Amino acid sequence: MIVFKTYLKVLNKCKMPIILYTVILIFFAVFNMQTEDNQISFEQEKPDVLIINKDEEVGVTKNLMDYIKNNSNLIHIKETKDNINDALFYRDVNYIIYIPENYREDFLNKKNPIIEIKSTKDYQASLAEMMLDRYLKTANIYNQTSMSEEELIKSINNTLEKEVEIELTSKIDTENLENASFYFNFMNYCILAGTIYVICLVLSSFKSEMVNKRTIVSSMNYKKYNRYLLLSNGLFAFFAWLFYIAISFVLVGDIMFTSHGMIYILNSFIFNFCALTLAFLIGNILTNKDAMNGIINVIALGSSFLCGAFVPMEFLPKQVLNIAHILPSYWYIKTNELLKNIEVCNFENIKPLLLNMGVILCFSLIFIIITNIISNRKRKLG
Amino acid sequence: MFTHNFKYSIKILFKNKSLIFWTFAFPIILATFFNMAFSDIEKNEKLDIIDIAIIDNESFRENQIFKETFQELGNNKSKEQLFKIEYTNEEEARKLLESDKISGYLLLEEKPKVIVSKNGINQTILKYVVEEIETNSEMFQSVSERRINEKIQEEILKGKMDLDYNALSQEIIQETMKMLQNQKIQIKDISNPNLSYTMIEFYTLIAMTCLYGGILGMTSINKCLANMSHNGKRISISPVSKTKLILSSVLASYLVQLIGIVLLFLYTIFIIKVDYGNHLPQIILLTLLGSLAGLSLGVVTSTVVKKNENMKTGIILSITMLGCFLSGMMGITMKYIIDKNIPIINKINPANMITDGFYSLYYYGVQNRFYQNIISLILFSAILIGISIISLRRQKYDSI
Repeated sequence: MIVFKTYLKVLNKCKMPIILYTVILIFFAVFNMQTEDNQISFEQEKPDVLIINKDEEVGVTKNLMDYIKNNSNLIHIKETKDNINDALFYRDVNYIIYIPENYREDFLNKKNPIIEIKSTKDYQASLAEMMLDRYLKTANIYNQTSMSEEELIKSINNTLEKEVEIELTSKIDTENLENASFYFNFMNYCILAGTIYVICLVLSSFKSEMVNKRTIVSSMNYKKYNRYLLLSNGLFAFFAWLFYIAISFVLVGDIMFTSHGMIYILNSFIFNFCALTLAFLIGNILTNKDAMNGIINVIALGSSFLCGAFVPMEFLPKQVLNIAHILPSYWYIKTNELLKNIEVCNFENIKPLLLNMGVILCFSLIFIIITNIISNRKRKLG
Repeated sequence: MFTHNFKYSIKILFKNKSLIFWTFAFPIILATFFNMAFSDIEKNEKLDIIDIAIIDNESFRENQIFKETFQELGNNKSKEQLFKIEYTNEEEARKLLESDKISGYLLLEEKPKVIVSKNGINQTILKYVVEEIETNSEMFQSVSERRINEKIQEEILKGKMDLDYNALSQEIIQETMKMLQNQKIQIKDISNPNLSYTMIEFYTLIAMTCLYGGILGMTSINKCLANMSHNGKRISISPVSKTKLILSSVLASYLVQLIGIVLLFLYTIFIIKVDYGNHLPQIILLTLLGSLAGLSLGVVTSTVVKKNENMKTGIILSITMLGCFLSGMMGITMKYIIDKNIPIINKINPANMITDGFYSLYYYGVQNRFYQNIISLILFSAILIGISIISLRRQKYDSI
């Protein structure tokens, strides 16, 4: 009991990192989760477009603007030059359309006026460009027959209004699963940076030279002492994990009660165990708190960046993902990513996920073995 | 005495391993991670070739317009290639869709129908293209009809009665077809080519390194303070001008700090290939002032805060990390949100002054915005150094 009590005392002094990483987790989770309703019908993707109109908003000009408005998210910002350029750089808008002065007149006189645009050249911008392209082509074609402006507008709109039938086959709740995956992926960082750091700090206090010598000469059996220490650390890691899971129920919501949620929880539990063994390893190798801080930061940030906790896996270069295979985080995050695309959780579907969890357990085993070898050697040296 | 203390301050700083790790190695490690994680993001956001399937049934084979257009869009030799198309039966297509190998498939019966498994940009584009083909063929019909009628009326008004309707409509259909194909619309792209937003991440990294350098300044000053260590007590009672002592310590740490930043610059420029724009003198000026801001942050913390070294380090680290967070290190959207909604926060945030300085050089070139950041950095440093001087003057202790 005395070990456990001391453990709690030391732990109380190191509570700051846990609070800090919890705040970070909650903040990023809330910041990144999209809270859209569950969609069962097909929803068209809409690029963010800004229109800067120097012409009067009537006739064909108005019609062009209306068309863009209906097919994109129109962004309103203060139209100063810097604001517009900043918005484009930070992807607040994907596409800026400058409608020139006298556009309507020039267009009706078949002068084919030039429209200037600014584009971020990504997916969304390409879509916006397709949209503008289609409108202008249609308008130009009708403009070559002799129609009045009203008739022209009517024909253009009639043509563009036609929609093709679209069927959505899958009914899985992608938005919510994506949120859940994001949360659990981000947890990777919090477990590695927070939990491991705290465990190592506490271990290093127990292992500091003077304390260690006193413990060795005390009447307490060293096996019992080690067992208690292990148990206390395990308990701490468990409660820290439980705390993160509790938050996930609040932030992610209903999905946590389904079989998907169970797998997320199981996966994170196994990963947490792996982190615990890693913490023991680091705590056994190092005693210098400064060095520990550096190494844990590098491990946590490295694993999170390379394995896709911060930047989604699909955006990472192939070579990086290949390197990432040697990190337990990769298998943990991979499972979360696979899980979000699974529709029905039957054995056939979740088999690869279980395999990944097996790999994480193998990592844990390796960490335990190395820790034993090292601590054994150290004791003999002492 | 000046050179003596200067030399030893540098030696002491370089011997402090954890300090050198955090100010020299850590930014470089972080830059490597940034590079690995972000190098493909922007490439991935560009429109890529989309995998789709088309049900190869009779109505598709008979529909000339659909067949030809998709052939063109799926042609891997063409520059305009948009799709990679699998011609297959419905069962196979459904399987491909379920295993996420294709974004969707097209089923052409009486009317075209697009089947997808989720919402997304690829799916939207497929739907868009199908709609466009569909409307184009309709438009073609209605325009040709209209033009034929117009032509006939014209001819009749001219008094021609013996018209060859067939030849006339053939001619106009050909003409309209040409017109549709040769549509040239005039869209002119005037966007700035420097649009790579991941650069901001590297700029915040430079800002972080500049401010982290404050820890070096803090350590140097601590060495001279009587309330921090026994060394400090001995130094304080020595008959040496305090101005010389402090100034040489501060200069030494500034030099060490600059060495760290130069290393980071060399690494990011030559190995990671970060684009800082082409304004070298301005970049040097910004870096020197950025480091000065970091240094003054370190000096002011070490003189004003009367606590132990850990506390002081904690304060500098928290200010640095918070500043970098607000200037976009953990997601550039943050910088934009703050800049747009609460600009005052980023106007007094030293990390943002540095980041924004680099950003404005990269995106806008040397303009007022850059000089605003330079002036802010000078003011920031001047104020902090002023406070430090006031609190350092005439320190006396009755007992420590």
